[in-house]
Amino acid sequence: MPSPEQPPFRRAVVALNGGPTDERIVRLAAEVARHTKAELIGVHVVEINWTLPLDADVAGRSEDTQRVLDLAEAAAEEAHYKIEPVLLQARDVAAALVDEASERGADLLVVGLPYRTRFGGDFAIGRTVPYVLKNAPCAVWVVREPMGEVV
Amino acid sequence: MFVLVVGGGKVGYYLTKELIQSGHEVVLMEKDRARADQIADEIGSIVIPHDGCEGKYLGEAGANRADIVAAVTGDDEDNLVICQMAKHHFDVPRTIARVNNPKNEDLFKHLGVDELISPTRMILGSIEQDIPVHELLHLAGLGESELELIEAHLDAGSPAIGRSTGDLQMPEGCALFAVIRDGVAMPLRSDMTLREDDKVIAIGPEDCETLLKEQLIGASATES
Repeated sequence: MPSPEQPPFRRAVVALNGGPTDERIVRLAAEVARHTKAELIGVHVVEINWTLPLDADVAGRSEDTQRVLDLAEAAAEEAHYKIEPVLLQARDVAAALVDEASERGADLLVVGLPYRTRFGGDFAIGRTVPYVLKNAPCAVWVVREPMGEVV
Repeated sequence: MFVLVVGGGKVGYYLTKELIQSGHEVVLMEKDRARADQIADEIGSIVIPHDGCEGKYLGEAGANRADIVAAVTGDDEDNLVICQMAKHHFDVPRTIARVNNPKNEDLFKHLGVDELISPTRMILGSIEQDIPVHELLHLAGLGESELELIEAHLDAGSPAIGRSTGDLQMPEGCALFAVIRDGVAMPLRSDMTLREDDKVIAIGPEDCETLLKEQLIGASATES
């Protein structure tokens, strides 16, 4: 736990899922990072199913993936900060985020959690956030989308 | 090489770990969700928690591009179905099946499984090597042919003792080619006289076994 004088983080991996929470978490991370000049890395992971080899050119050809990174960069700029966009292909999003945070020596991983419900109306947390919470080598911020913004 | 392992028991688990360590791309299918999660926690997100007997899930696991499918569940019927689907529906070049009941081996071969691994047969073979059973010992099958490598231990009652190998009436398609005497292996010449405790190594089809047994082990042993 950092002392009050220490910055809350020096290098953060911000997970971009292409959903409505991306802009919110980038802005939040940028606002905090701006005061301490911490590094922000925006990571978007494209999941490759097992029918394709992991190095198949899927993400590079997709306009959607580029748009996710562009929007994250734009959100950071709005907060007068910069984010390094990173595009990854992996079999599992959660494992890729944890690996990236570990390899980059990040001391914070920020993930957005869209407010989703299952058929019964129960809130569904999905499987990425629990995996990240369990396995991340650093602090984790989970930013849940407000209920009112559910489409 | 991309290997699809079906069955996350002890065999599948250790097989997957070894393959990963050897640098292969591996995916493991295990239908028991709890077991699948347990393995995934340990070796990473390469576990698909579905039944490999269902073509849909076999497809999702990447059977279309697998170089090898290894069906190693504890259930022979499942292993057969998995290999057949992999072979005929996904054109997998090589299928390997674990066969628990040796009686199913012929069926697996007949239905086109490329390679069979029978732990029961292996253990049986190992036991037979240590315990004299007055029977011919099957050492190994030779590739895809019907030929087998067979060993005969010549006990005191063997009719072959004192005779040269050239005098023995070998079944058609069967050949004696080596003898192990006092722990030393030597090529078998037609003028070599066989002695008690010799181990004679033969190659032949399975159906030559009865005649081979009569010549090397003796009729009484055959009847016992």
